[in-house]
Amino acid sequence: MSTDAIIITGLFKTQKETLTAIEKIQANGWEVTEVHSPIPSQDIARALDRKKSRVGWFTLTGGIIGFVSGFALAVFTATRWNLIVSGKPILSWIPFFVIAFECTILFAVLGNVLGILTQVGLPDPDYEKNYSAACSGELYGIEVASPPADVDSLKDLLHLTGSLNQLRKTK
Amino acid sequence: MSQLTFETINTTVLNTLTRPGKIYWGIIALLFAGVVLGASCWAYQIFMGVGVAGMNTPVHWGTYLINFVFWVGIAHSGTLISAILFLFRAGWRNPIARAAETMTVFAVCIAGLFPFIHLGRVWLVFYMLPIPNQRTLWPNFQSPLIFDVIAISTYLTVSSLFWYTGLIPDLAIIRDRSQGMRKKIFTILSLGWSGKTGQWLNYTRGYMLFAGLATPLVISVHSVVSWDFALSVIPGWHTTIFAPYFVAGAIHSGLAMVLTLSIPLRKIFKYEPLITMDVLESIAKTIVFTGIIVGFSYGTEVFISWYSQNIIEMETFRWRAFGHYAPEYWIMVICNTIIPLLFLIKRFRTRTIWLFVISIFVNIGMWFERFVIIAGSVAHDFLPNAWGHYRPTLIEGGIMLGAFCLFFFLFLLFVKHLPSVSMTEMKEMIHKTE
Repeated sequence: MSTDAIIITGLFKTQKETLTAIEKIQANGWEVTEVHSPIPSQDIARALDRKKSRVGWFTLTGGIIGFVSGFALAVFTATRWNLIVSGKPILSWIPFFVIAFECTILFAVLGNVLGILTQVGLPDPDYEKNYSAACSGELYGIEVASPPADVDSLKDLLHLTGSLNQLRKTK
Repeated sequence: MSQLTFETINTTVLNTLTRPGKIYWGIIALLFAGVVLGASCWAYQIFMGVGVAGMNTPVHWGTYLINFVFWVGIAHSGTLISAILFLFRAGWRNPIARAAETMTVFAVCIAGLFPFIHLGRVWLVFYMLPIPNQRTLWPNFQSPLIFDVIAISTYLTVSSLFWYTGLIPDLAIIRDRSQGMRKKIFTILSLGWSGKTGQWLNYTRGYMLFAGLATPLVISVHSVVSWDFALSVIPGWHTTIFAPYFVAGAIHSGLAMVLTLSIPLRKIFKYEPLITMDVLESIAKTIVFTGIIVGFSYGTEVFISWYSQNIIEMETFRWRAFGHYAPEYWIMVICNTIIPLLFLIKRFRTRTIWLFVISIFVNIGMWFERFVIIAGSVAHDFLPNAWGHYRPTLIEGGIMLGAFCLFFFLFLLFVKHLPSVSMTEMKEMIHKTE
């Protein structure tokens, strides 16, 4: 789609109407660039052919780093003076596992947050671009890109698919 | 539930965020005065020394650690509701999840204060942290007390992040319906959330992983708290059942606190269409379940001491039931195991007044459980010449009152400034039932 394309956002009341509209828009050769919705929807993600989330990899990486760091911290600190306390071995693996476990969870969560922020694209200072405030409340917004010449026929199509309102913005 | 729409959910929740009246600020001022009283008592203790508390030889662990365990326990139910019930897809959790998560964050903060207070010389708190220093002195990571430092700080970090992550879509809803300074604040807080499909896809995956990580964490944290006691050799503490016993007790007290908070919240903010009687009934049924586990644990402790034929253990449990702290012991048994059984009768679990009153009894019972375990065991351990009694002083009472005031102060500030019911999760719930 060229950079002078026009983005038309059609607003729909239910997820079912939204899915039907996406299907019709795509069948008519238009490109659905984005859908804004008040709740998550696997069906919409499938309709837009979105790839599986990669947040889990961040979480896993964080968890591994945390497990190793937790053990490393406990071993490092215990071996600074090699003092036997309460008759326990210097390297007491079972107590150290508790530290490693807590660090695993901590770092996995930090990795998870990093994953969410980077994959979701937050913070997003340009969030208002092509966004309707109604989409955080009760409506679903389908963004469709169109060359300037075809805007009217796209509007007609959105109207036919049951769009309540249409917002026009330049890409 | 069927008459709810996305719009009515938004309206109901956003109506709670209107400018508060004089009564609200009056209560806030009263609670703040309680916080100042608690802070003053703590300041007095710092100035005079920890001797102003009632702790003595042999009872070196008093109300500060009793309150620490109590507040950690309160915190646990929030994660149970927000994470464990989320993974089990229990729909009734949705209306109360936000309040429960918030309760968790505030309760962990307050719990975390008590080891500081108990420490006496609070300025030496850094000794508990692994900070590099010239003498290469490090915390002893074989000690359950240091497990606790790591576990509680992890729990505070995780529960705060989990809470904030869950808030983001709701913060965007408020942003889109605000103007002026309020809009600017919520624009920053919502991080530019716009509900794109890709955002939801990654967000829901991240949220599920959060829940998956918070679940083992919550179980580990209270297990670690229980090991503060169980890894010692004190009779009444040195037992293998402490971890599951503490976890069950934590959930029991936390659910009771959720009821204590949800019932006034529901009434004052007209949340009846969202927090339905079915939701409160489900909490009550879960309290019956956790109460039975707690009661079973009480019985098991006594059985273990008898079955072992260890005279020290047998004497500890005889003394608990019939000794100096017998009233506290029987308050614990009655409030935690007998009174919650009233919820087996439908009338008691479907009337808000009964739900509220019984939840208060459970809260009181769970505080006394910690008193009996902590003070009761060290007061009467191995040698009769080392036995003693413990009675909290007014300073400890003031600090405890301050902690309760701080909890309700923070919670009241929260309910008028941030959405106390998750609008997004409510919408998901009604979408699934449609």
